Amino acid sequence: MRSAARYGWIGYTAARSNMAYRGEVLFRSSFLAVILYIFMRLWTVVFAESKDSRIAGLSLPQMLWYLVITEAVFLSSPRIWAEVDQDVRTGRLAVQLIRPLSYVAEHLSRAMGERIVRFAINLLIGSIVALVLVGPIPMSISGLAMFAVVLPVAFVLDFFGMFLVGLSAFWLESAAGVALIYMRCVMLFGGMFLPLEIYPDALQPALHVLPFASMLSAPGRMFVDPSFALLKESLMRQGVAVVGYAGLVFLVQLVAFRRLFTNGG
Amino acid sequence: MNPGVEIRALTKNFVLTRWSGFRRRVSEIVAVDGINLDVPAGQSVALIGPNGAGKSTTIKMLTGILHPTSGEASVLGFIPWRDRRKLAYSVGAVFGQRSQLWYHLPPGDTFELLARVYNIKRLEFIRTRDLLIDRFNLGPFMQTPVRKLSLGQRMRAEVAASLLHRPKIMFLDEPTIGLDVIARQELRDLIREWNRNDGTTVVLTSHDAGDIEHVAERVIVVNHGQVVVDGPVDAVRRKYLGSKILRVQFHGTPTRIAIAGVTSLSDSEYEWKMQVDTTITPVSEVTAAVLGAGAVADIAIEDPPLEEVIARIYSEGGKEESS
Repeated sequence: MRSAARYGWIGYTAARSNMAYRGEVLFRSSFLAVILYIFMRLWTVVFAESKDSRIAGLSLPQMLWYLVITEAVFLSSPRIWAEVDQDVRTGRLAVQLIRPLSYVAEHLSRAMGERIVRFAINLLIGSIVALVLVGPIPMSISGLAMFAVVLPVAFVLDFFGMFLVGLSAFWLESAAGVALIYMRCVMLFGGMFLPLEIYPDALQPALHVLPFASMLSAPGRMFVDPSFALLKESLMRQGVAVVGYAGLVFLVQLVAFRRLFTNGG
Repeated sequence: MNPGVEIRALTKNFVLTRWSGFRRRVSEIVAVDGINLDVPAGQSVALIGPNGAGKSTTIKMLTGILHPTSGEASVLGFIPWRDRRKLAYSVGAVFGQRSQLWYHLPPGDTFELLARVYNIKRLEFIRTRDLLIDRFNLGPFMQTPVRKLSLGQRMRAEVAASLLHRPKIMFLDEPTIGLDVIARQELRDLIREWNRNDGTTVVLTSHDAGDIEHVAERVIVVNHGQVVVDGPVDAVRRKYLGSKILRVQFHGTPTRIAIAGVTSLSDSEYEWKMQVDTTITPVSEVTAAVLGAGAVADIAIEDPPLEEVIARIYSEGGKEESS
């Protein structure tokens, strides 16, 4: 209980600290408005050329709202990899270990606090743009509740991925290269710009098995087209991905910290 | 009374792997070489030495971050590398160049967070926080974001934050680095005062001779992973810091002077740099003589650099005990 309160307070402090970056967050969010406008124009042409009123099972308004969610999630991702990379390369990690905190749990709390603020602002701006361009889509309390279940798991999953990328600094000069490749993978295979259902059928099983889909596509789909079947499927995939990622983080951190305890910061 | 620090034959070797083409070369570096030390509870100790001497490695082992190759250590009754989490509740640490304060929030917010991190009871937290605000004069900037504080104010808040859970032992690594003379002196006084009043054991590392003289009662010089000198600061100062560097600039060509215990380090037409052995001639006498030698434009009295003192310690025969 005490431990939960302690990490909860770290998240709260991170959220408050992030409010100081209002300018930066607003700038990033304005970028989101530009992206959404461009995609709106693009999808309008695609839908006009298509004989179907739905593409990948989504109507034009649903498509734009899907993009609002996936973009809001992706752009709210804190630079965890960069923090871990800095901790390792500057020796700051050694200082952090002097405190009675779990290194992973502390970063997770900070990331969640920071992310909630960024996501809320992104969602607000994205919603305004979507409302102006395509209007509202049908929503229900149960649909929003299901979205609220899938979204935090997506955040946790994204954290573990970024944290793993950061830990690569134990073996590489810098984690920046790995981070660049990893983020492109999340964008492409997570369904950020295009719903995964648009990809060739042969790729579908692989794309849905990869953890990236659970980070972006799952919350995006759940927001625009919620169902209990989708919730069950998403949670199952997210659960497997979280267990897999957490296990990897545990193993990599074990090896990395053994290196630290042996060779120093 | 807490048991302080006990170190027995503590050794740390680092394995260094280098690639030469496709050939892997493995070498071993001895960072800490069988150190034996006892630091009683409440003592204030300066652990000094040149870069790469083994100070940081020793401190990292004492805080449990590094595991030793061999030997034993006990900090407050805990084996640091085995009981790191438990020990963390009784340890405070300040690293001059690494802040634990939240940059965009006022120091008060970091204090609130630390109260939860260290499970400090609310009443106890408020009492300690108010005491620290009073002693460290933090009141005027407790609600100002850290990014807007001067370095001196930030370091005062930094040290206060690390004392919030009333640690039994404090590790201070270059706490005054980058501070101006006044801020440096203020911080030294505060650390010393807390050590005396609260009985907190202080382990300080610094390259600043002033920090050592003002904060520590005992100095331990480490080099090549071994304890080279260990004794009360006064005794070591008398023995090794018994000299001052005098730097004088003249408006015109000065008259030559010869004073016992004064050695010229560099000498140009308008500028003298000399080392004064204060055990032979007090620096005040030398200053008076210099002022009479010509029209002085500028004069500065400095302590010899610590590296010079350490170099001197070596030139006088390696291992010895001053106590």
